[in-house]
Amino acid sequence: MSSPLIFHIDVNSAYLSWEAAYRLQHGEEIDLRDVPSIVGGNREKRHGIVLAKSIPAKDYNILTGETIHSALQKCPHLRVVPPNYERYIDASDAMIHILREFSPNIQRYSIDEAFLDYSYGDKHWIDISYEIKERIKADLGFTVNIGVSSNKLLAKMASDFKKPDMVHSLFPYELQDKMWPLPVSELFMVGPKTTVKLHSRGIFTIGDLAALSKDYIYSWLKKPGLLIWEYANGIDSSNVRNNPLPIKSVGNSTTTSFDVDNQREAHMILLALSEKVSMRIRAINQCAYVVSLNIKNYNFFSYSRQVKLNNPTDSTNFVYRTAKRLFDEMWQEEPLRRFSLSLSELISNDYYQLNFFEEDDSKEKLLDNAIDNIRKSFGHKSVFRSCFLYSGIDPLIGGVIMEEEYPMMSSQI
Amino acid sequence: MKVLMKPIEMIAWFSKDKYPIPLRYRIVDENMENKVIKVDKILFKEEEKIAGNRMILYRCESIIENTQRIFELKYEISTCKWFLFKI
Repeated sequence: MSSPLIFHIDVNSAYLSWEAAYRLQHGEEIDLRDVPSIVGGNREKRHGIVLAKSIPAKDYNILTGETIHSALQKCPHLRVVPPNYERYIDASDAMIHILREFSPNIQRYSIDEAFLDYSYGDKHWIDISYEIKERIKADLGFTVNIGVSSNKLLAKMASDFKKPDMVHSLFPYELQDKMWPLPVSELFMVGPKTTVKLHSRGIFTIGDLAALSKDYIYSWLKKPGLLIWEYANGIDSSNVRNNPLPIKSVGNSTTTSFDVDNQREAHMILLALSEKVSMRIRAINQCAYVVSLNIKNYNFFSYSRQVKLNNPTDSTNFVYRTAKRLFDEMWQEEPLRRFSLSLSELISNDYYQLNFFEEDDSKEKLLDNAIDNIRKSFGHKSVFRSCFLYSGIDPLIGGVIMEEEYPMMSSQI
Repeated sequence: MKVLMKPIEMIAWFSKDKYPIPLRYRIVDENMENKVIKVDKILFKEEEKIAGNRMILYRCESIIENTQRIFELKYEISTCKWFLFKI
Protein backbone atom coordinates (compact mmCIF):
# COMPACT_ATOMS: atom_id res chain seq x y z
CA MET A 1 0.00 0.00 0.00
CA SER A 2 1.24 3.45 -0.84
CA SER A 3 1.61 5.97 1.97
CA PRO A 4 -1.53 7.97 2.74
CA LEU A 5 -1.94 11.32 1.05
CA ILE A 6 -4.78 13.53 2.22
CA PHE A 7 -5.88 16.89 0.82
CA HIS A 8 -8.00 19.37 2.71
CA ILE A 9 -9.79 21.81 0.42
CA ASP A 10 -11.09 24.98 2.08
CA VAL A 11 -12.94 27.76 0.22
CA ASN A 12 -11.51 31.22 0.98
CA SER A 13 -14.15 33.35 2.73
CA ALA A 14 -16.75 30.96 1.36
CA TYR A 15 -20.06 32.81 1.53
CA LEU A 16 -18.46 36.02 0.39
CA SER A 17 -16.56 34.44 -2.51
CA TRP A 18 -19.66 32.64 -3.71
CA GLU A 19 -21.76 35.75 -3.44
CA ALA A 20 -19.10 37.76 -5.29
CA ALA A 21 -18.75 35.19 -8.08
CA TYR A 22 -22.50 34.94 -8.51
CA ARG A 23 -22.86 38.71 -8.67
CA LEU A 24 -20.08 39.03 -11.23
CA GLN A 25 -21.82 36.41 -13.34
CA HIS A 26 -24.95 38.54 -13.16
CA GLY A 27 -23.20 41.61 -14.45
CA GLU A 28 -22.19 43.40 -11.26
CA GLU A 29 -19.06 45.39 -11.94
CA ILE A 30 -17.57 45.49 -8.46
CA ASP A 31 -16.00 42.33 -7.12
CA LEU A 32 -17.06 42.09 -3.48
CA ARG A 33 -13.73 40.47 -2.69
CA ASP A 34 -11.86 43.66 -3.62
CA VAL A 35 -13.80 46.08 -1.40
CA PRO A 36 -14.64 46.02 2.31
CA SER A 37 -17.80 43.91 2.33
CA ILE A 38 -19.63 41.34 4.41
CA VAL A 39 -22.35 38.77 3.96
CA GLY A 40 -24.97 38.74 6.65
CA GLY A 41 -28.15 39.97 8.18
CA ASN A 42 -30.50 42.50 6.77
CA ARG A 43 -29.43 46.01 5.99
CA GLU A 44 -32.86 47.65 6.17
CA LYS A 45 -33.68 46.25 9.55
CA ARG A 46 -30.10 46.81 10.66
CA HIS A 47 -29.95 43.56 12.50
CA GLY A 48 -28.14 40.28 12.12
CA ILE A 49 -24.52 39.25 12.35
CA VAL A 50 -21.49 39.09 10.07
CA LEU A 51 -21.37 35.64 8.45
CA ALA A 52 -18.40 36.21 6.18
CA LYS A 53 -16.09 39.11 5.41
CA SER A 54 -13.82 40.09 2.55
CA ILE A 55 -10.08 40.41 3.02
CA PRO A 56 -10.21 44.26 2.75
CA ALA A 57 -12.87 44.18 5.52
CA LYS A 58 -10.35 42.41 7.74
CA ASP A 59 -8.23 45.57 7.73
CA TYR A 60 -11.05 47.35 9.54
CA ASN A 61 -10.85 44.72 12.25
CA ILE A 62 -14.30 43.38 11.44
CA LEU A 63 -14.90 40.00 13.03
CA THR A 64 -17.06 37.13 11.89
CA GLY A 65 -19.99 36.83 14.28
CA GLU A 66 -20.17 40.46 15.41
CA THR A 67 -23.31 42.48 14.83
CA ILE A 68 -23.78 44.34 11.56
CA HIS A 69 -24.35 47.48 13.57
CA SER A 70 -20.91 47.39 15.16
CA ALA A 71 -19.30 46.41 11.85
CA LEU A 72 -20.84 49.48 10.22
CA GLN A 73 -19.46 51.64 13.00
CA LYS A 74 -15.97 50.36 12.26
CA CYS A 75 -16.38 50.94 8.53
CA PRO A 76 -19.29 53.17 7.45
CA HIS A 77 -18.88 52.48 3.72
CA LEU A 78 -18.95 48.72 4.25
CA ARG A 79 -21.01 46.84 1.66
CA VAL A 80 -23.51 44.51 3.32
CA VAL A 81 -25.14 41.81 1.21
CA PRO A 82 -27.78 39.39 2.48
CA PRO A 83 -26.98 35.66 2.44
CA ASN A 84 -28.58 33.20 0.06
CA TYR A 85 -28.02 29.67 1.29
CA GLU A 86 -29.48 27.82 -1.65
CA ARG A 87 -26.96 29.50 -3.92
CA TYR A 88 -24.12 28.51 -1.60
CA ILE A 89 -25.24 24.90 -1.65
CA ASP A 90 -25.12 24.96 -5.45
CA ALA A 91 -21.59 26.33 -5.30
CA SER A 92 -20.54 23.74 -2.73
CA ASP A 93 -22.10 20.91 -4.77
CA ALA A 94 -20.32 22.09 -7.89
CA MET A 95 -17.00 22.03 -6.05
CA ILE A 96 -17.58 18.48 -4.76
CA HIS A 97 -18.52 17.49 -8.30
CA ILE A 98 -15.10 18.64 -9.53
CA LEU A 99 -13.31 16.92 -6.64
CA ARG A 100 -14.95 13.63 -7.55
CA GLU A 101 -13.05 13.67 -10.81
CA PHE A 102 -9.82 13.36 -8.84
CA SER A 103 -10.68 10.74 -6.25
CA PRO A 104 -13.70 8.63 -5.33
CA ASN A 105 -12.92 9.02 -1.66
CA ILE A 106 -14.18 12.40 -0.49
CA GLN A 107 -15.49 13.54 2.85
CA ARG A 108 -17.60 16.63 2.87
CA TYR A 109 -16.61 18.16 6.15
CA SER A 110 -18.82 21.24 6.01
CA ILE A 111 -20.41 23.42 3.36
CA ASP A 112 -17.04 24.91 2.40
CA GLU A 113 -14.52 22.24 3.41
CA ALA A 114 -13.78 18.78 2.11
CA PHE A 115 -11.16 16.08 2.59
CA LEU A 116 -9.93 14.17 -0.42
CA ASP A 117 -7.96 10.93 -0.18
CA TYR A 118 -5.36 10.76 -2.94
CA SER A 119 -3.35 7.84 -1.52
CA TYR A 120 -3.98 5.74 -4.59
CA GLY A 121 -3.48 8.46 -7.17
CA ASP A 122 -0.72 8.24 -9.74
CA LYS A 123 0.37 11.88 -10.01
CA HIS A 124 2.61 13.89 -7.72
CA TRP A 125 0.74 15.79 -5.02
CA ILE A 126 2.16 19.15 -6.10
CA ASP A 127 0.81 18.77 -9.63
CA ILE A 128 -2.55 17.45 -8.57
CA SER A 129 -3.20 19.99 -5.82
CA TYR A 130 -2.43 22.89 -8.17
CA GLU A 131 -4.60 21.28 -10.83
CA ILE A 132 -7.55 21.06 -8.42
CA LYS A 133 -7.06 24.63 -7.25
CA GLU A 134 -6.83 26.04 -10.78
CA ARG A 135 -9.77 23.99 -12.03
CA ILE A 136 -12.01 25.34 -9.27
CA LYS A 137 -10.84 28.87 -9.94
CA ALA A 138 -11.38 28.67 -13.69
CA ASP A 139 -14.67 26.77 -13.72
CA LEU A 140 -16.41 28.06 -10.64
CA GLY A 141 -14.86 31.49 -10.19
CA PHE A 142 -13.73 31.27 -6.57
CA THR A 143 -10.45 30.41 -4.86
CA VAL A 144 -9.56 27.68 -2.40
CA ASN A 145 -6.70 26.82 -0.08
CA ILE A 146 -5.42 23.27 -0.21
CA GLY A 147 -3.55 21.61 2.63
CA VAL A 148 -1.65 18.43 1.86
CA SER A 149 -0.37 15.89 4.35
CA SER A 150 -0.42 12.27 5.42
CA ASN A 151 -3.44 12.62 7.67
CA LYS A 152 -6.59 14.69 7.96
CA LEU A 153 -5.55 16.75 10.97
CA LEU A 154 -2.31 17.98 9.42
CA ALA A 155 -3.98 18.62 6.07
CA LYS A 156 -6.58 20.76 7.82
CA MET A 157 -3.91 22.68 9.74
CA ALA A 158 -1.99 23.24 6.51
CA SER A 159 -4.91 24.67 4.56
CA ASP A 160 -5.21 27.34 7.26
CA PHE A 161 -1.66 28.72 6.88
CA LYS A 162 -1.69 31.62 4.46
CA LYS A 163 -4.66 32.68 2.40
CA PRO A 164 -6.01 33.01 -0.24
CA ASP A 165 -5.51 30.77 -3.26
CA MET A 166 -2.57 28.72 -1.98
CA VAL A 167 -1.33 25.19 -1.57
CA HIS A 168 0.55 24.27 1.61
CA SER A 169 2.00 20.98 2.73
CA LEU A 170 2.51 19.86 6.31
CA PHE A 171 4.08 16.43 6.34
CA PRO A 172 5.24 15.00 9.68
CA TYR A 173 8.85 15.98 8.99
CA GLU A 174 7.74 19.62 8.60
CA LEU A 175 5.98 19.79 11.97
CA GLN A 176 8.86 21.43 13.75
CA ASP A 177 9.24 24.27 11.25
CA LYS A 178 5.67 24.92 10.21
CA MET A 179 3.32 23.97 13.04
CA TRP A 180 5.17 24.03 16.34
CA PRO A 181 5.97 27.78 16.34
CA LEU A 182 2.25 28.66 16.00
CA PRO A 183 0.24 29.83 19.03
CA VAL A 184 -1.49 26.95 20.76
CA SER A 185 -4.94 28.46 20.12
CA GLU A 186 -4.48 27.77 16.39
CA LEU A 187 -4.57 24.03 17.00
CA PHE A 188 -7.73 22.17 16.02
CA MET A 189 -9.96 21.47 19.06
CA VAL A 190 -8.21 24.06 21.26
CA GLY A 191 -10.89 26.63 22.05
CA PRO A 192 -10.74 29.81 24.13
CA LYS A 193 -11.23 27.97 27.44
CA THR A 194 -8.53 25.38 26.83
CA THR A 195 -6.23 28.18 25.65
CA VAL A 196 -6.58 29.95 29.01
CA LYS A 197 -5.86 26.69 30.86
CA LEU A 198 -2.79 25.99 28.75
CA HIS A 199 -1.51 29.55 29.11
CA SER A 200 -1.80 29.26 32.89
CA ARG A 201 0.85 26.56 32.83
CA GLY A 202 3.15 28.33 30.43
CA ILE A 203 2.13 26.56 27.25
CA PHE A 204 1.97 29.16 24.51
CA THR A 205 2.89 27.41 21.28
CA ILE A 206 1.84 24.13 19.73
CA GLY A 207 5.45 23.03 20.18
CA ASP A 208 5.21 23.61 23.96
CA LEU A 209 2.19 21.34 24.07
CA ALA A 210 3.82 18.67 21.92
CA ALA A 211 6.88 18.62 24.17
CA LEU A 212 4.90 17.73 27.30
CA SER A 213 4.96 14.16 28.48
CA LYS A 214 1.91 12.08 27.66
CA ASP A 215 1.35 11.06 31.28
CA TYR A 216 1.51 14.64 32.48
CA ILE A 217 -1.13 15.90 30.05
CA TYR A 218 -3.36 12.91 30.81
CA SER A 219 -3.20 13.45 34.54
CA TRP A 220 -4.05 17.11 34.04
CA LEU A 221 -6.63 17.34 31.24
CA LYS A 222 -7.66 13.68 30.92
CA LYS A 223 -8.88 12.32 27.61
CA PRO A 224 -9.46 15.61 25.75
CA GLY A 225 -5.93 16.57 26.81
CA LEU A 226 -4.57 13.41 25.26
CA LEU A 227 -6.40 14.22 22.04
CA ILE A 228 -4.91 17.71 21.70
CA TRP A 229 -1.49 16.36 22.67
CA GLU A 230 -1.75 13.84 19.84
CA TYR A 231 -2.88 16.59 17.47
CA ALA A 232 0.06 18.76 18.54
CA ASN A 233 2.32 15.86 17.62
CA GLY A 234 0.56 15.39 14.29
CA ILE A 235 -1.01 12.09 15.26
CA ASP A 236 -4.44 11.40 13.76
CA SER A 237 -5.61 8.13 12.29
CA SER A 238 -9.17 8.94 11.26
CA ASN A 239 -10.22 7.89 7.76
CA VAL A 240 -11.65 10.01 5.01
CA ARG A 241 -15.26 9.06 5.49
CA ASN A 242 -17.23 8.84 2.31
CA ASN A 243 -20.51 8.41 4.14
CA PRO A 244 -21.66 10.89 6.73
CA LEU A 245 -21.88 9.80 10.35
CA PRO A 246 -25.25 8.42 11.39
CA ILE A 247 -27.58 11.14 12.65
CA LYS A 248 -28.11 10.99 16.41
CA SER A 249 -30.71 13.65 16.87
CA VAL A 250 -32.83 16.09 14.90
CA GLY A 251 -33.71 19.47 16.33
CA ASN A 252 -34.82 22.95 15.40
CA SER A 253 -34.95 26.17 17.30
CA THR A 254 -36.15 29.71 16.88
CA THR A 255 -35.55 33.03 18.55
CA THR A 256 -38.77 34.99 18.29
CA SER A 257 -38.73 38.60 17.15
CA PHE A 258 -41.02 39.50 20.06
CA ASP A 259 -41.28 38.15 23.62
CA VAL A 260 -43.90 35.44 23.85
CA ASP A 261 -46.04 35.89 26.95
CA ASN A 262 -49.17 33.85 26.33
CA GLN A 263 -49.76 30.15 26.11
CA ARG A 264 -51.59 30.24 22.81
CA GLU A 265 -48.71 31.82 20.93
CA ALA A 266 -46.20 29.58 22.64
CA HIS A 267 -48.19 26.54 21.58
CA MET A 268 -48.30 27.80 18.03
CA ILE A 269 -44.54 28.16 17.95
CA LEU A 270 -44.21 24.65 19.32
CA LEU A 271 -46.53 23.40 16.59
CA ALA A 272 -44.46 25.13 13.92
CA LEU A 273 -41.28 23.58 15.31
CA SER A 274 -42.96 20.16 15.57
CA GLU A 275 -43.97 20.37 11.93
CA LYS A 276 -40.39 21.02 10.93
CA VAL A 277 -38.61 18.45 13.09
CA SER A 278 -41.06 15.65 12.40
CA MET A 279 -40.89 16.35 8.70
CA ARG A 280 -37.12 16.08 8.87
CA ILE A 281 -37.18 12.89 10.89
CA ARG A 282 -39.60 11.29 8.41
CA ALA A 283 -37.37 12.33 5.54
CA ILE A 284 -34.49 10.29 6.98
CA ASN A 285 -36.79 7.32 7.72
CA GLN A 286 -36.33 7.36 11.46
CA CYS A 287 -38.51 7.44 14.57
CA ALA A 288 -37.57 8.96 17.91
CA TYR A 289 -37.95 7.78 21.50
CA VAL A 290 -37.04 11.03 23.22
CA VAL A 291 -38.62 14.46 22.81
CA SER A 292 -36.82 17.37 24.50
CA LEU A 293 -37.82 20.98 24.78
CA ASN A 294 -35.63 23.88 25.78
CA ILE A 295 -36.89 27.40 26.39
CA LYS A 296 -35.06 30.62 27.14
CA ASN A 297 -36.75 33.50 28.93
CA TYR A 298 -36.33 37.24 28.61
CA ASN A 299 -33.47 37.16 31.14
CA PHE A 300 -31.54 34.77 28.88
CA PHE A 301 -32.01 32.04 31.45
CA SER A 302 -32.80 28.74 29.81
CA TYR A 303 -34.23 25.51 31.07
CA SER A 304 -35.27 22.25 29.51
CA ARG A 305 -37.25 19.12 29.99
CA GLN A 306 -37.39 15.85 28.11
CA VAL A 307 -39.46 12.72 28.07
CA LYS A 308 -38.88 9.18 26.91
CA LEU A 309 -41.85 7.79 25.03
CA ASN A 310 -43.18 4.28 25.25
CA ASN A 311 -43.32 4.02 21.49
CA PRO A 312 -41.01 5.72 19.04
CA THR A 313 -42.79 8.31 16.94
CA ASP A 314 -42.48 10.34 13.78
CA SER A 315 -45.94 11.84 13.88
CA THR A 316 -46.27 15.62 13.81
CA ASN A 317 -49.33 15.56 16.04
CA PHE A 318 -47.79 13.28 18.60
CA VAL A 319 -44.58 15.29 18.78
CA TYR A 320 -46.64 18.45 19.15
CA ARG A 321 -48.81 17.00 21.93
CA THR A 322 -45.70 15.86 23.79
CA ALA A 323 -43.96 19.22 23.38
CA LYS A 324 -47.08 20.99 24.60
CA ARG A 325 -47.19 18.78 27.68
CA LEU A 326 -43.52 19.42 28.46
CA PHE A 327 -44.06 23.13 27.97
CA ASP A 328 -47.08 23.36 30.25
CA GLU A 329 -45.19 21.45 32.94
CA MET A 330 -42.23 23.78 33.07
CA TRP A 331 -43.32 27.24 31.96
CA GLN A 332 -43.32 29.83 34.78
CA GLU A 333 -45.46 32.25 32.73
CA GLU A 334 -42.61 34.71 32.17
CA PRO A 335 -41.97 36.18 28.69
CA LEU A 336 -39.97 33.85 26.45
CA ARG A 337 -37.60 34.57 23.60
CA ARG A 338 -36.29 31.27 22.39
CA PHE A 339 -37.73 27.79 21.80
CA SER A 340 -35.91 24.68 20.73
CA LEU A 341 -37.31 21.25 20.16
CA SER A 342 -35.33 18.13 19.42
CA LEU A 343 -35.88 14.43 18.89
CA SER A 344 -33.28 11.86 19.86
CA GLU A 345 -32.68 8.13 20.44
CA LEU A 346 -33.53 7.52 16.84
CA ILE A 347 -34.32 4.14 15.38
CA SER A 348 -35.17 3.04 11.89
CA ASN A 349 -38.86 3.36 11.10
CA ASP A 350 -39.26 0.16 9.10
CA TYR A 351 -39.72 -2.07 12.08
CA TYR A 352 -39.82 -1.57 15.80
CA GLN A 353 -41.52 -3.04 18.85
CA LEU A 354 -45.24 -2.37 18.90
CA ASN A 355 -47.13 -1.69 22.05
CA PHE A 356 -50.34 -3.47 23.01
CA PHE A 357 -51.94 -0.27 24.29
CA GLU A 358 -50.88 1.85 21.36
CA GLU A 359 -53.52 3.81 19.49
CA ASP A 360 -53.93 2.99 15.84
CA ASP A 361 -52.17 5.82 14.06
CA SER A 362 -52.04 4.40 10.55
CA LYS A 363 -54.35 7.11 9.25
CA GLU A 364 -52.20 9.79 10.78
CA LYS A 365 -49.13 8.29 9.12
CA LEU A 366 -50.84 8.45 5.75
CA LEU A 367 -51.83 12.05 6.38
CA ASP A 368 -48.29 13.03 7.40
CA ASN A 369 -46.89 11.39 4.30
CA ALA A 370 -49.42 13.07 2.05
CA ILE A 371 -48.57 16.46 3.56
CA ASP A 372 -44.84 15.82 3.18
CA ASN A 373 -45.31 14.93 -0.47
CA ILE A 374 -47.42 17.99 -1.19
CA ARG A 375 -44.85 20.21 0.50
CA LYS A 376 -42.02 18.54 -1.39
CA SER A 377 -43.68 19.19 -4.74
CA PHE A 378 -45.28 22.56 -4.16
CA GLY A 379 -43.13 24.24 -1.52
CA HIS A 380 -43.19 24.31 2.24
CA LYS A 381 -46.01 26.77 2.51
CA SER A 382 -48.39 25.04 0.10
CA VAL A 383 -50.36 23.49 2.97
CA PHE A 384 -50.38 24.60 6.55
CA ARG A 385 -52.67 24.59 9.55
CA SER A 386 -55.37 27.22 9.60
CA CYS A 387 -54.45 28.48 13.07
CA PHE A 388 -51.41 30.15 11.49
CA LEU A 389 -53.53 32.25 9.12
CA TYR A 390 -53.04 35.97 9.87
CA SER A 391 -51.19 35.04 13.06
CA GLY A 392 -47.83 36.51 12.12
CA ILE A 393 -46.18 33.24 13.07
CA ASP A 394 -44.59 31.08 10.39
CA PRO A 395 -46.30 27.71 9.98
CA LEU A 396 -42.92 25.96 9.83
CA ILE A 397 -40.06 27.27 11.91
CA GLY A 398 -36.41 26.41 12.07
CA GLY A 399 -33.38 26.08 9.86
CA VAL A 400 -31.90 28.50 7.42
CA ILE A 401 -32.46 26.30 4.41
CA MET A 402 -35.98 25.25 3.82
CA GLU A 403 -35.53 22.87 0.94
CA GLU A 404 -32.48 20.83 1.73
CA GLU A 405 -30.27 19.59 4.50
CA TYR A 406 -26.58 20.25 4.29
CA PRO A 407 -23.74 18.77 6.27
CA MET A 408 -22.74 20.78 9.27
CA MET A 409 -19.26 20.91 10.64
CA SER A 410 -18.62 18.66 13.59
CA SER A 411 -15.92 18.61 16.21
CA GLN A 412 -14.82 15.23 14.93
CA ILE A 413 -12.66 15.16 11.86
CA MET B 1 -18.46 46.07 -24.95
CA LYS B 2 -20.27 47.29 -21.84
CA VAL B 3 -21.91 45.07 -19.23
CA LEU B 4 -25.69 45.55 -19.21
CA MET B 5 -27.22 42.32 -17.84
CA LYS B 6 -30.68 43.40 -18.89
CA PRO B 7 -33.50 40.82 -18.83
CA ILE B 8 -34.93 40.30 -22.33
CA GLU B 9 -37.80 38.51 -24.02
CA MET B 10 -36.53 35.80 -26.32
CA ILE B 11 -37.65 33.51 -29.09
CA ALA B 12 -35.26 30.58 -29.10
CA TRP B 13 -35.04 27.33 -30.99
CA PHE B 14 -34.66 24.27 -28.77
CA SER B 15 -33.01 21.87 -31.19
CA LYS B 16 -31.84 18.32 -30.63
CA ASP B 17 -28.44 19.69 -29.73
CA LYS B 18 -27.27 20.36 -26.21
CA TYR B 19 -27.97 24.08 -26.13
CA PRO B 20 -30.92 26.24 -27.24
CA ILE B 21 -30.28 28.64 -30.11
CA PRO B 22 -31.40 32.28 -29.68
CA LEU B 23 -33.28 33.58 -32.75
CA ARG B 24 -34.67 37.01 -31.94
CA TYR B 25 -35.21 39.04 -28.81
CA ARG B 26 -37.12 42.06 -27.66
CA ILE B 27 -35.69 44.71 -25.39
CA VAL B 28 -37.06 47.94 -23.92
CA ASP B 29 -34.71 50.79 -24.88
CA GLU B 30 -33.99 54.14 -23.20
CA ASN B 31 -37.15 55.71 -24.71
CA MET B 32 -39.23 52.89 -23.20
CA GLU B 33 -39.89 51.54 -26.69
CA ASN B 34 -39.81 47.89 -27.58
CA LYS B 35 -37.11 46.94 -30.01
CA VAL B 36 -36.81 43.57 -31.73
CA ILE B 37 -33.38 42.36 -32.71
CA LYS B 38 -32.77 39.34 -34.88
CA VAL B 39 -29.72 37.29 -34.01
CA ASP B 40 -27.91 36.93 -37.32
CA LYS B 41 -24.98 34.83 -36.30
CA ILE B 42 -23.67 33.06 -33.23
CA LEU B 43 -19.90 33.43 -33.14
CA PHE B 44 -19.38 31.03 -30.25
CA LYS B 45 -21.11 29.69 -27.20
CA GLU B 46 -19.77 28.38 -23.93
CA GLU B 47 -21.15 27.04 -20.72
CA GLU B 48 -20.06 28.56 -17.44
CA LYS B 49 -20.86 27.38 -13.94
CA ILE B 50 -19.57 30.19 -11.80
CA ALA B 51 -20.36 29.51 -8.14
CA GLY B 52 -22.19 26.39 -9.31
CA ASN B 53 -24.79 28.36 -11.30
CA ARG B 54 -25.00 27.10 -14.87
CA MET B 55 -25.33 29.71 -17.61
CA ILE B 56 -24.78 29.54 -21.35
CA LEU B 57 -22.97 32.47 -22.86
CA TYR B 58 -23.47 33.31 -26.54
CA ARG B 59 -21.36 35.81 -28.43
CA CYS B 60 -23.56 36.98 -31.33
CA GLU B 61 -23.56 39.36 -34.25
CA SER B 62 -26.49 41.39 -35.67
CA ILE B 63 -27.24 44.39 -37.78
CA ILE B 64 -28.70 46.98 -35.39
CA GLU B 65 -29.73 50.33 -36.95
CA ASN B 66 -27.65 49.60 -40.03
CA THR B 67 -24.47 48.87 -38.13
CA GLN B 68 -23.01 45.53 -37.45
CA ARG B 69 -22.81 45.02 -33.70
CA ILE B 70 -21.34 42.28 -31.55
CA PHE B 71 -23.01 41.43 -28.24
CA GLU B 72 -23.29 38.68 -25.66
CA LEU B 73 -26.41 36.90 -24.48
CA LYS B 74 -26.75 34.74 -21.40
CA TYR B 75 -29.23 31.97 -20.68
CA GLU B 76 -29.60 30.98 -17.02
CA ILE B 77 -30.53 27.30 -16.84
CA SER B 78 -31.95 27.28 -13.31
CA THR B 79 -34.44 30.09 -13.99
CA CYS B 80 -34.92 29.75 -17.80
CA LYS B 81 -34.25 33.48 -18.20
CA TRP B 82 -32.41 35.28 -20.99
CA PHE B 83 -30.25 38.35 -20.54
CA LEU B 84 -28.48 40.80 -22.77
CA PHE B 85 -25.14 40.51 -21.00
CA LYS B 86 -22.87 42.87 -22.92
CA ILE B 87 -23.09 45.11 -25.95
